[in-house]
Amino acid sequence: MAIPVIMPRQGQSVESCIITSWNKKVGDTVEKGEILFSYETDKSSFDEAAPESGKLLAIFHEEGDDVPCLENVCVIGNDGEDAAQFAPAGEAEAAPAEAAPAEAKAEVAPEAAAPVTAQQISGAISPRARALADKTGADLLKAAPTGPNGRIIERDVQSLVDRGLTVSGAASAEYKTAVEGSGINGKVMLGDLNAPAAAQEVPAIAPAVSGPEYEDVKMPNIRKIIAKQMCASLSGMAQLTLNTSFDATKIMDLRKSLKAGGEALGLPNITINDIILFAVSRVILNHKGVNAHCLEDTIRYFNTVNLGVAVDTPKGLMVPTLFHAEKLSLSELSKSAKGIIKAAQAGSISPDLLKGGTFTISNLGAMGIESFTPIINPPQTAILGVDCVTRRLKEVDGEDVVYPAMGLSLTFDHRVLDGADAARFLKDLVVALENFDLLLTK
Amino acid sequence: MPKSQYVDPGKAFEAGYIHFEDIPVCQYNKTLKEELKLYSKEDMIRIYRDMQIIREFETMLNDVKTKSNYNGVEYNNPGPAHLSIGQEASAVGEAYSLDINDLSFGSHRSHGEILAKGLSSIEKLDDKELYDIMKEFLDGAVLSVVEKHMNAGGNVKELAINFLLYGALAEIFARKTGFNRGLGGSMHAFFIPFGLMPNNAIVGASAPIALGAALYKRSNHKPGIVISNCGDGATGRGPVLESLNFASMDQITKLWGMDGKFSDGGMPILFNVFNNHYGMGGQTRGETMGFDMVARLGAGFNPSQMHAERVNGYDPLAVIDAVSRKKKLLLEGKGPALLDVVTYRVSGHSPSDSSTYRTAEEIEAWKAADPIEAYKTKLVLGKVATIAELDQIKEDITKRMTEIMKLAINDEISPRMDLNKEPAAIASMMFSNQKVVSMDPSREADVMMPKEDCPRVKEIKGKIRTSTDANGKPVSKMKMYNVCDGLFEPIIDKFYEDPTLIAYGEDNRDWGGAFGVYKKMTEAIPYHRFFNSPISESAIVGSAVGYAMCGGRAIVELMYADFIGCAGDEIFNQMAKWQAMSAGILKMPIVLRVSVGSKYGAQHSQDWTALCAHIPGLKVVFPSTPSDAKGLMTSALNGTDPVVFFESQRVYGFGEEFMKGGVPEGHYEVPFGEPDIKRAGKDVTILTIGAVLYRAMEAAKILEEKYGISAEVIDTRSIVPFNYEKVVESVKKTGKVLIVGDACERGSVMRDMASNITELCFDYLDGPPVVVGSRNWITPSFELEKSFFPQASWIIDALAEKILPIPGYVPTQNFTEIEKIERSKKGI
Repeated sequence: MAIPVIMPRQGQSVESCIITSWNKKVGDTVEKGEILFSYETDKSSFDEAAPESGKLLAIFHEEGDDVPCLENVCVIGNDGEDAAQFAPAGEAEAAPAEAAPAEAKAEVAPEAAAPVTAQQISGAISPRARALADKTGADLLKAAPTGPNGRIIERDVQSLVDRGLTVSGAASAEYKTAVEGSGINGKVMLGDLNAPAAAQEVPAIAPAVSGPEYEDVKMPNIRKIIAKQMCASLSGMAQLTLNTSFDATKIMDLRKSLKAGGEALGLPNITINDIILFAVSRVILNHKGVNAHCLEDTIRYFNTVNLGVAVDTPKGLMVPTLFHAEKLSLSELSKSAKGIIKAAQAGSISPDLLKGGTFTISNLGAMGIESFTPIINPPQTAILGVDCVTRRLKEVDGEDVVYPAMGLSLTFDHRVLDGADAARFLKDLVVALENFDLLLTK
Repeated sequence: MPKSQYVDPGKAFEAGYIHFEDIPVCQYNKTLKEELKLYSKEDMIRIYRDMQIIREFETMLNDVKTKSNYNGVEYNNPGPAHLSIGQEASAVGEAYSLDINDLSFGSHRSHGEILAKGLSSIEKLDDKELYDIMKEFLDGAVLSVVEKHMNAGGNVKELAINFLLYGALAEIFARKTGFNRGLGGSMHAFFIPFGLMPNNAIVGASAPIALGAALYKRSNHKPGIVISNCGDGATGRGPVLESLNFASMDQITKLWGMDGKFSDGGMPILFNVFNNHYGMGGQTRGETMGFDMVARLGAGFNPSQMHAERVNGYDPLAVIDAVSRKKKLLLEGKGPALLDVVTYRVSGHSPSDSSTYRTAEEIEAWKAADPIEAYKTKLVLGKVATIAELDQIKEDITKRMTEIMKLAINDEISPRMDLNKEPAAIASMMFSNQKVVSMDPSREADVMMPKEDCPRVKEIKGKIRTSTDANGKPVSKMKMYNVCDGLFEPIIDKFYEDPTLIAYGEDNRDWGGAFGVYKKMTEAIPYHRFFNSPISESAIVGSAVGYAMCGGRAIVELMYADFIGCAGDEIFNQMAKWQAMSAGILKMPIVLRVSVGSKYGAQHSQDWTALCAHIPGLKVVFPSTPSDAKGLMTSALNGTDPVVFFESQRVYGFGEEFMKGGVPEGHYEVPFGEPDIKRAGKDVTILTIGAVLYRAMEAAKILEEKYGISAEVIDTRSIVPFNYEKVVESVKKTGKVLIVGDACERGSVMRDMASNITELCFDYLDGPPVVVGSRNWITPSFELEKSFFPQASWIIDALAEKILPIPGYVPTQNFTEIEKIERSKKGI
């Protein structure tokens, strides 16, 4: 029976061998053990001996051929036997055996793409990204970090630059929290930075702070609430502030006389703040736009005055509510206000008293603030800031007269009312305060 | 496995006995009368003087160590002092019949041998030769001190004795005027012009080195013999036993002659054991060995029993007699030989030795048998000299030694190297950095045929020097010029260019090296330049060190990088250190080829570049393309520094894929230290070490095609030295870098490079340099290797997880920080 002779594989890594010489030709008789042909690998030479005796029926590869290992080289058998059946199938060279690289087939799982969420922002930034930001003035506060562990990397800064989100050199030192830029392509300019004080509490990726010393403190819950509300307030409303002042001579005189004799009449210690609360409660119902809530696409005008009183407490800003202020006498109002302020400062205030306000008053006058932009407590539509007293001149009967002027800063939501509406409220309030004695008699 | 030697199963099982000859034990018994016929009166007195010089030198050091005072001169020597008081007769007896062509290597306890052989050489050299040697050595730095400050009475030999004692002592005291600028010290002092070769602080380490010196003499037809000195304790060390066997191997006398074309003499080496009975405190006879007498070992190594003899080392004339006879045998081509010279170290192993292992009676008994006193008595009784004459000699020696010591401790005359003033003094000696095409241009190389007729040279001529043909179709592996060919070309060129070049290792000759690098070279290069070594890695590398010390160039091969451990001392302490330890006097042109395997499991697949790169004094390269293999091998072979040449078995069969026009023809050199950009890119840098280059290229392709990320792939090629400039330039461009290699990542070269790149590029980095190496495991079997060695996908994983998250990419490997900490905690 005819048998094929294969090209042996001399070692696992050998893929093919070259036939260097044939000792026999087709038709020769071969004895078992006789050398049929010699061949070599890239390392060594070998002889292939006939596995059986017989006649060399066919030779499939000539001297010099590079024969893949295990392929048939020749056939030994008896005359008349079919050798063709052993012919190697086709001469097409096999593709190089190096298997196609087993790619880590990226079955794109969208959820695995792990979009960077706010929680992942670590504040870390690569040295390279930092250098690029310094060079381009990229607004890092607006960067969406895509590096490992929320690190801002070069491409994130490049993306800012590409979108034109940059900060001017002058503004960068003061720039602590993201602001819409007013410059070309939205560049943040120095003038864009008059953000309310509270906004500085917003967690942000701060630009390089000089000096390595700092302390990381977890935000207490109240701060988080303040932060959230303030940001929501600023980003959700069209706020602007009007400033004015009034002659505080009358209310200061009143305060003086109350101080001197109030106790004897069983009156509480009525403060300037109480007086202002009282004035507002009497004037505001004529200006329904500032005593309202803005709810999605409706405006809720109130028929009662629930005054929010901003209180500086050890925990942070709290705003307890003085309900139905329009119904209280000055002394009642004063007592109630004292009660809620005390409770807020002690931290014992009922949560029910921390909501429901229709308008808020924030008094920084005691700290010497001459003017500021209070932030509206949503969904309210306005907030009154009370400033300190300064000495001013006014002309009375052709003569310059010095008088105590107290500032008022009203921030209002332009979506709900217009500047003139707000101004009218302020004007009425000024009249009421300047003529407080008359108001009391009303 | 030469085909000329038939292994006959019939003979292999033949019955019979092994016969041994008697090994002589202290058979010297010449009478004084007979001796007086052999030696002149002057010779006999000089023998006494030389022993007395050694005794005084060692006594001085002992006094300095134990009392900080010798003969009224105060000094504190913090360095080591392994003294040989008691062994003087052995040293002087050995040196007596040696001349400057005979090289002697010693141990940590070799002050006596240095002095004895130095004094013997001084006696044999004529005055002019002697003076020229001293004048030329270190530009006369040593000579000028003794010429200026000591009076030799116009006698050159006396001047030379001062020179020898001062050069050795200044070396021991770490002075710049010492024989090796003070960089060798007590255990390493040597002076080549007198045939005093380096001594070694590693027990037994001189044996393979001395073997290499003998190999140099044998392969380059040089006159003289080599003495390998060691103590009896050293006979327990593998490198010593390997060397005894290597020197005795049959092929030297049976095959190297090549039918009368070349010499068929044996290895001209005498293994001389100064048998002082102790290896530190371990008693070799009776405790730590079983041979009873060292001389017995000879019977184990060849049928001539290495002509082994045991000799009375307390009688200088008995030792002279034995060494002279052995020298004659070696010069007749009957080497190697073995001597067991019985002696005793009266001094401690070191001055801190409290002799807890021996009794006071034993020491007293040996003191009573003092070789110098016994010899003195012999001279007096034989009327060769009077007691007064001999005492005068001793007194003169003490005076001379005191003067020498005063000079050697004088900071003005004998300053130390000032590393504040010359901060690069040692750094500049770590490498010789020379380009020497032939170590001996005066000679033609021994070859068997013109280079053009070498079958392999012819075969390579017909090969295609690129991996793809003009149509981009892969060239058949059999016809393609591959990495093996790239290594072969410069090696065969060097065989014809440099007559001193030899190459050996396991299965180098007929097999052509386990991976065929030397295939078909057998026909062209004779045995004595290209042979199969025994499986003795220590002897392979150690002998190359000795070969290079003598002025030759060697390529030795360890088959697998994993076997580096078997030659640890030879690679890390010997090959790496001798250039600097000799203060630049020695060159070390050795290429140590090691191949990194794969598919062969835990002990045959390791990339140990980090081990070699860690050791100062070694150059380390790892090419992975045919052109780089050729270019770096050419540089290595033209250089004068020791190079550990890493090769990867994964790529031996690879053709040239990178260099346009294919592997350069003719002489082609790639300078050491320069990495090569194999693929230009702009988004991320991938720095590769070794064969991982091809996986990095695959990763770069995927990154480009699937994710639009353009990777720059840089092949380090060299590890020591390494120029970071090109890498820094690339990282400044990309800001991202991955360092990839097949070594286990912990403590790897990759880690070292990552740290350096962090320092050099910190402000430009967009993420930490990330290392992608193999896991810190054993290498598993081939089928599991893809979970062990870095794959193309791992490179992308590491990039996506640690530097540049890729939208839509799902990593397969965990490169997170949590995982890193966990693995580190577990040590895996």
